[in-house]
Amino acid sequence: MVDRIAALRAGFERVMEWIVIALMLVLFIEVTLGVVFRMLGRPLVWYDEVASVLLAWLTYYGASLAALKRAHIGFPGLVRRLPPRIRVPVVLLAEASTIGFFVLLAWVGWTVLGVLATDYLVSLPDVSNQYVQSVIPIGAALFVVAESLLLPDTLRDARTGRPPGAAVAERLR
Amino acid sequence: MPILLLFVGVVGLVLIDVPIAVALGIAAVVAMVTSQGTDTLPNVALVMYGGATSFPLLAIPLFILAGAIMNASGISRRLIAFASALLGFIRGGLSMVAIGTSLFFAEISGSAVADVAALGSVLIPAMEKRGYPPAFAAAVMSSSATLAVIIPPSIPMILYAVMADTSVVRLFVAGIIPGILGGFGLMAVAYWFARRYNFPVEESLDWRNVRHTFREASWALTLPLIILGGIFGGVVTATEGAALAVVAALFIGLVIYRELDWRHLKQAIIDGAVQTAVVMLLVAASALLGVYLTEQQVPQKLAGAIINVTSNKWVVLAILNLLFLMLGLFLHSAAAIILTVPVVMPLVNAAGIDPVHFGLVVTVNLGIGQQTPPVASVLATACAIAKEDIWAVTRTNVYFVAVLLAVLLLVTYVPAIPLSLVHLFYG
Repeated sequence: MVDRIAALRAGFERVMEWIVIALMLVLFIEVTLGVVFRMLGRPLVWYDEVASVLLAWLTYYGASLAALKRAHIGFPGLVRRLPPRIRVPVVLLAEASTIGFFVLLAWVGWTVLGVLATDYLVSLPDVSNQYVQSVIPIGAALFVVAESLLLPDTLRDARTGRPPGAAVAERLR
Repeated sequence: MPILLLFVGVVGLVLIDVPIAVALGIAAVVAMVTSQGTDTLPNVALVMYGGATSFPLLAIPLFILAGAIMNASGISRRLIAFASALLGFIRGGLSMVAIGTSLFFAEISGSAVADVAALGSVLIPAMEKRGYPPAFAAAVMSSSATLAVIIPPSIPMILYAVMADTSVVRLFVAGIIPGILGGFGLMAVAYWFARRYNFPVEESLDWRNVRHTFREASWALTLPLIILGGIFGGVVTATEGAALAVVAALFIGLVIYRELDWRHLKQAIIDGAVQTAVVMLLVAASALLGVYLTEQQVPQKLAGAIINVTSNKWVVLAILNLLFLMLGLFLHSAAAIILTVPVVMPLVNAAGIDPVHFGLVVTVNLGIGQQTPPVASVLATACAIAKEDIWAVTRTNVYFVAVLLAVLLLVTYVPAIPLSLVHLFYG
């Protein structure tokens, strides 16, 4: 079971890594094309709006990868110093709060998509905001998946008193 | 009262190690639902999306990508060789090389953590081999890497410019003189240590070698200057300049040096994307909290309360300096900017402080924050490379931090230091 979760997590991590690499490269190519076309006197009208959309996509797809790598900025110092019998419930509470927030975000993001079906990008009137903003429910759901896949490691760290994220750091090494 | 509860809620969640971005999001949702009911929930998704779509912030992943490509192209080796030829003849030469290379590197990279990782992994072991105490090696590398956030391009400056709605280009220009002053100040302290502990001289000054290493490093040195020139001259925006920096880095790596290593590059892109996402999630969550705080007019009320006590801008600057120094002890610089700048800007404006001047004050402050434990991202990276305890390194680092504090005081109370170049270029 533990091996299965580890394999799932490794596979998920690889997929997310390739998604963010692709987004970074597309973002770079898009902004460069924008500059080149503007200098040639034929500015692309959609360039800054699409670039901003790409940044939002990079934010939310990247955020779940960051969760998997325990890279989000936090303050683990206090929890690490707690005695184990208090530390485990505190870590569980923190995990429940984080997962709960992203479940809520996925849900409200999903319900909003219905309203956005008839709303389009300003510079590309054929592209619906429903597609563009789908990144919120998808990104939030991916965050929940990342946190859930890490849960066994997180609990083991909490029980043994290793610094939070130690198992992740070991794997990355 | 609700604001106090909100503050306690955020602090409580952060203390149990909920990521700061998530803590802000939870507190904002609870505050919004309490004051306006569940009908406001769809706004949560809309604001979290809108908060992450800022065109000027696109410069962050692009500058990170440019730095990563240059790093994977063997650029740090060439910069170190040039700095070594130029500064190696001074007593304590390697520590001068560390500071000199950081000064050059700062023109390429916007992130001090990236700098200390790239340069420290070469220079800290080299210094240890030459008999420098590991704590000194880590301290000099860590403090000089902070120049990256003061000298343009700078990721904290980009963040500040967006949060304070001011010109990133002017901030970049304002960072030049304080950054160079800081570099020379750090060199003076390193020289004092070198005389006192008799650190070795590396090589005699050989102009032929200086010319040779300069030619090798010249692409790495001149292209960022052309790009910054393009940004300062108004030819391209900071975001576009960042994209051009990536093109330049690819050109150097693939055509000039032909050393671009895909494995390192792939890892660097992933690290850059993760770093961007971490900052941007904070930006989006703070936008959510910002909606609530603005509705409650918290920043205006805070400004009013302090202005009632004093409207003297130097006193206000002293209060804000203390606030940011305290925050720097416990918060990552990106988090500190995102959380506090929107709240204190009405106060800054009411006290008549130039937002560009204040931007430099914030940047130098948070640069110091990267050096002051318990939360000190740059110092921690240097200590990890040197395998030294963070507090042991801090005992040496206090001398270097004192230089950065002196720069902070100069930047705060002699506005001509950051602003004279801005006025020269932009009137």
